[in-house]
Amino acid sequence: MADTEKIIEIEVLRYRPEQDKEPVWQSYKVPFTDDMSVLQGVQYIKDYLDETVSFRWSCRMAICGSCGMMIDDKPKLSCKTFLRDYYPGKLRVEALKHLPIERDLIVDATDFITKLESIKPYIIPKEERTLAQGEYLQTPEQRDMYEQFSSCINCMLCYAACPQYGLNPKFTGPGILALMHRYNADSRDGGQAERNELGYADEGYWGCTAVGYCSEVCPKGVDPANAINQNKMNSAINYFTRFVTPGGADK
Amino acid sequence: MQTLRTDILILGSGGAGLFAALHAHQADPKLDITIAVKGLLGKCGCTRMVQGGYNVALAAGDSIERHFMDTIEGGKWLPNQDLAWKLVTLAVERIHELENELGCFFDRNPDGSIHQKAFAGQTFDRTVHKGDLTGIEIINRLAEQIWSRKIKRLEEHRAVALIKAKSGDALAGVLMIDMRTGEFAFVQAKAVLLATGGGPTMYKYHTPSGDKSCDGLAMALRAGLTLRDMEMVQFHPTGLLAGTNTRMTGTVLEEGLRGSGGYLLNGAGERFMGNYDARLERATRDVVSRGIYAEMRAGRTTPNGGVHISMAHLGPQNVVKQFKGMVDRCADSGFDLAGGLVEVVPTAHYMMGGVEFKPDCSTALPGLFAAGEDTGGVHGANRLGGNGVANSTVYGGVAGEEMAAWVRAQGELREPDAEAIAATEAACRAPLGRRPGDVEGVRETLYELMWDDVGIVRDAKGLARARGALAELQARLDTTGVDAGDLRYNLAWHDWLNLNNLILVSRAICEAALVRENSRGAHYREDFPDAGELATSTYSLVQAAGAGFSVSREPVQFTRVRPGESLVG
Repeated sequence: MADTEKIIEIEVLRYRPEQDKEPVWQSYKVPFTDDMSVLQGVQYIKDYLDETVSFRWSCRMAICGSCGMMIDDKPKLSCKTFLRDYYPGKLRVEALKHLPIERDLIVDATDFITKLESIKPYIIPKEERTLAQGEYLQTPEQRDMYEQFSSCINCMLCYAACPQYGLNPKFTGPGILALMHRYNADSRDGGQAERNELGYADEGYWGCTAVGYCSEVCPKGVDPANAINQNKMNSAINYFTRFVTPGGADK
Repeated sequence: MQTLRTDILILGSGGAGLFAALHAHQADPKLDITIAVKGLLGKCGCTRMVQGGYNVALAAGDSIERHFMDTIEGGKWLPNQDLAWKLVTLAVERIHELENELGCFFDRNPDGSIHQKAFAGQTFDRTVHKGDLTGIEIINRLAEQIWSRKIKRLEEHRAVALIKAKSGDALAGVLMIDMRTGEFAFVQAKAVLLATGGGPTMYKYHTPSGDKSCDGLAMALRAGLTLRDMEMVQFHPTGLLAGTNTRMTGTVLEEGLRGSGGYLLNGAGERFMGNYDARLERATRDVVSRGIYAEMRAGRTTPNGGVHISMAHLGPQNVVKQFKGMVDRCADSGFDLAGGLVEVVPTAHYMMGGVEFKPDCSTALPGLFAAGEDTGGVHGANRLGGNGVANSTVYGGVAGEEMAAWVRAQGELREPDAEAIAATEAACRAPLGRRPGDVEGVRETLYELMWDDVGIVRDAKGLARARGALAELQARLDTTGVDAGDLRYNLAWHDWLNLNNLILVSRAICEAALVRENSRGAHYREDFPDAGELATSTYSLVQAAGAGFSVSREPVQFTRVRPGESLVG
């Protein structure tokens, strides 16, 4: 890195459960150039300053959602956040909030995946269609109803951002509620009633207090707050409809 | 050491691995299926990084014969024709399965049918896609299917060796490192799928994710298996050249940019592809990469040493609409793809070569199956853009079905060769006993030497130089240690193990490149620029032998069509 001119201070919240009673900050001086991401800063620490620092990464291009961390207290993908934007100040990186730290910058994603499994995240066909019959016809307009909610990369930044999830870990949370909406809004799908048992429960859509920070931090423009909001509306309509429709709503 | 037992062990969680798990489960829900993966399920590997899309003959006017001929001609007559035929045939079923059963959706025509876009090197617009980020859709939906079923997961477990039975004539299981604890575990399985993906990350500019380090190919070599077509490393012509230090450099800007009519301009602002191929920017990846490389060698470069891609003449708003993902990523690096110029460079993308396998995904080692980028023979000398994810999903599904049938018919848990387990563990622990050294320095050296001497343009002198340099580099790695203070999530240790695999596979590439004394597809020899007789085409075979390799050649069997003929009227 011969053309390095500048040095930035990166503070990393270290936590090695077998030796640290609680997380501790450790500071590193990292030479950098303007094209280097925060992920590369952390990689530099691991490669040249301290081999013991642990973190996750894979694609380095904002597609895998592995490298999320709190950067100056904001949840971000470290691969698409640049060191230059913090210079000449220092920056602090730590594990995503609201999730148990496994080690250093690595969090335990079990709760997220368990919730994801629970919402029937797959097409429950309204009408069966064999493979030989070809694709379901779906107009671009029908597709637009759910397209943006289909781009989630499970990076969990929205869980780190969500104050409600921080207070109540039972809350299903933004990303997974957006995924639930993705399937419910798909014209091929007929599973709304099954999924809404969960969606309309206390831990579902109504657990959200409409702060909207989830949508702000989403690196893929999924907009979970919008998904949740649409469903609160549906839920309310459904609630009132059941009093006036024989046999209840959700049919 | 912990021993785990399962019926089917799948290494890798890309399109091949997840489809295999799903199909094996569908074939027999009682099977105990375990997916082992180096990172988190669905997050590592490259299927998720697919941008452009999925080739399949769906539309009126297209046909599987036409898709097949494009694949064979694109592969410069080296593909195994039975493998290529199965690819194009089953792709039709698989794309509908992805939509109708898994819940994927791809872009639509106004009438509601699937939209297909233009990719380079094909005679029909047949690439199914979701915008320009198709892989996220495929892997998310596949992973959700896996999460919703009783399929076991060993995440952050890296496979380090295929362990044979004591008798030596079949596979007993796989030795793993649990990266979370640093402990070794042996997974005994009746059938194992090698689906770790290739990933030529030994080159300075490369597209695959950082966890890809040719682990499957290295394990196959160490187990004595034969790899074919290893000289065939695909360079994607348009890797983002975002700066000399950023690792965003090398990430791919998708094929559709050229397919839809993007221009390539050299440092002098000239549209140069006409000097190399009549198809201009829409020539196959090998041709365009060489054209760019020639401009680079002639010094007609952009500030960072590449060329420019220019899209603005297609209308900036159209570009933003069609290629939102690409526009965003370029913007992250300070480029305006829609209205301005973006610097690009050819970037190592895909390995056409891999384990020799049969259309039923079996290999020479009973109990071992292979699918996806770990295999060789489907693509020959050059892979068409859009045939990669088709390959992994088609053959992953096949492997799942075949493994389920194999387990039922003749599957048994075999007693492993305990000496092989002990020897592998010792070899993996070797760097832990040495003084920590400059592992990254080894990687930097590898990047440069592979790019310079085993890259887009090769010759005997450079390859001989690389052969020596790779041997020296292995020796250097063998004396480089890593901090052994704590093995839990010890990234440096895994960097070392990654490099150990990358160097071994680099040597196999170099050996195969030395024996092919002609120029086909991705392999270009400046000292042997002719393609050679198509009718007497041969493919290379590499096998580990002692401290080195044995290399041989086999004639291509033209089982469906001969050079000069076509299946399309």
